[in-house]
Order: sequence, then C-alpha cells, then structure tokens
Amino acid sequence: MRRIPALLVTHADLGAALLRAAQQIYGPVTDVAFLSNSELSRADLENAIRERVSGWTHGGLVLTDFPGGSCQQCGLLAARGNAGILVVTGVNLPGLLDYLHNREQYAVAELAERLMTRVRDSVRVQQARPE
Amino acid sequence: MSWLNQRVDDRLIHGQVVVAWGSALRPARLYVVDDQVAASPWERDLLVSAAPDTEVRVLTVAEAAAAWEAERSAPGGAMLVLRDLRTARALVESGAAVPAFTLGGLHYAPGKAKIAEYIYLDDADRSDARALLRRGVVLEVQDVPATRPQGLMALDPAVAP
Repeated sequence: MRRIPALLVTHADLGAALLRAAQQIYGPVTDVAFLSNSELSRADLENAIRERVSGWTHGGLVLTDFPGGSCQQCGLLAARGNAGILVVTGVNLPGLLDYLHNREQYAVAELAERLMTRVRDSVRVQQARPE
Repeated sequence: MSWLNQRVDDRLIHGQVVVAWGSALRPARLYVVDDQVAASPWERDLLVSAAPDTEVRVLTVAEAAAAWEAERSAPGGAMLVLRDLRTARALVESGAAVPAFTLGGLHYAPGKAKIAEYIYLDDADRSDARALLRRGVVLEVQDVPATRPQGLMALDPAVAP
C-alpha cells in the first residue's frame, strides 16, 4: 500500500513539538510536514496549506489540533474539491504515533477513521490504587 | 443585553473567539458579517460548525446593518465578528450604530506595518479607521479577554482623525 502523507497544522509550535516528541518514540520521520497558524490570516493560512498539499496526487491527511479553530477550518477550505484529502482534528501524540505506524497499511479514509478512534481512546481518567 | 462585543478579526470564527471570548461573554448569538462568506453556503456551514454551542448567523453587510437595531433589544447577548476595517466601516456607513470595535487579529500582509503583535495596518486600513473614529466609534486593540485593551490611536497616532 502507498504511504499516506500528512501535514500537521496547529496553533503556535504544537505541530513541531508533536513531531519532535513522536520522533523520540518512533525514530526518524519522513513525509510529515508541519505548519503553524502564527501570524497568518485566514486567507494566508488556507493558501499555505493548499501549497503544501498540492503535490498529494493520491490524497493525504491534514492533522489539526482544535475543533472549530482556524487550522481545522483552513484545512477544510484548502482541501475543498479534493476528496482524497481528509482533515482529522484533535490530534495528539498517541494519534500521531498511530498514524506513523499505520500510514502504509490503510487507505486514506480508513486511516483517518482509525486515527479518530485512537485519539478518542487515548484520553483516560484514572485513579492510582490507594496505599 | 444583546450586543456584547464587535470584533475585527481576519480569521473570523476561531479558537480565540469561541473559547476565550465565548467563555467570557457567553453570547447566545454570533454574527459573522462578510459578503463573501454569506454568498457561499458551504463556507457558511463551515463557520456554523466552528461554534456548535452558539447560534451563528452569517450575514451580508446590508443584512447586518438592517438587523442591528432589532438585535439590541433581543434577549441574550450577541457578538459580531468581521474580517477587516473596510467591512467595519461599511457596516457603520450602512446604518448600524456600532459604538466600538475590538481589533482582535489583523495579520501581516505585504505593505502592512506592525501596530501590535497581532495587528498590522496599511494606508487603506488607516483611512477606514480614521473614518470610524470621526464618527465617534471607539477602536481598541485586544486579542483575548485576559489582556488589557489599548486604544488604537495610542498605538498608531497616524489613524488620528
């Protein structure tokens, strides 16, 4: 199966930091880029994302941090008209690691669905056992 | 109650608007005033989905000017967001008696000068700001409720009428 590319689009330096953290656990990573929304208007962020995904002739994933935020909205605006590009929002470190381990095993839609589930399942509330 | 804040922000609805201002002001309605977005059902739906806990109304400048007075006496609070000072000026010149705008995000573009960390203006922006100030509209710079608002004229004396 063909490797599915990804672009992390986040607030501040979160995307770069997530990728650094993932590399500490996964090892060197290729085919994942990151983009911060800092200093960018809605139109400029949309254009910056479109420029980076324009070479994705077989689709890919735009991974964003926050539902309703500019990164998610501009990802959707940039992907308009390209059914092979999906936007997954709320991505965290477990989700990014799962993407890295499975990006050659699934088609784009199946991988996006898997990521959503993995991200949701990674949020847990636990209590330590009493002494 | 009604109008709680009128914001100029080239990102329209986004995290600062929904989370920071939304939590502080608890608006029942969020107006997006933008002729371009109002003309696109898909973009309208995208903005509506960005604030799922608030009623989002996407209007043209003319529609918003017509709705301004009625909203003043509506139950619950309302917030308004538009993308630039040109639209803010157009709204006021179309008849909406807007007392103040909060400049929350006007990002860099070629030819624009930095006024604050998140506010960049060019001559056309200054002309629009001047026209608003001449009408008595207060223009303040503030990105999130936790920061202190600053008068635009103090940050950029070139906008003085």
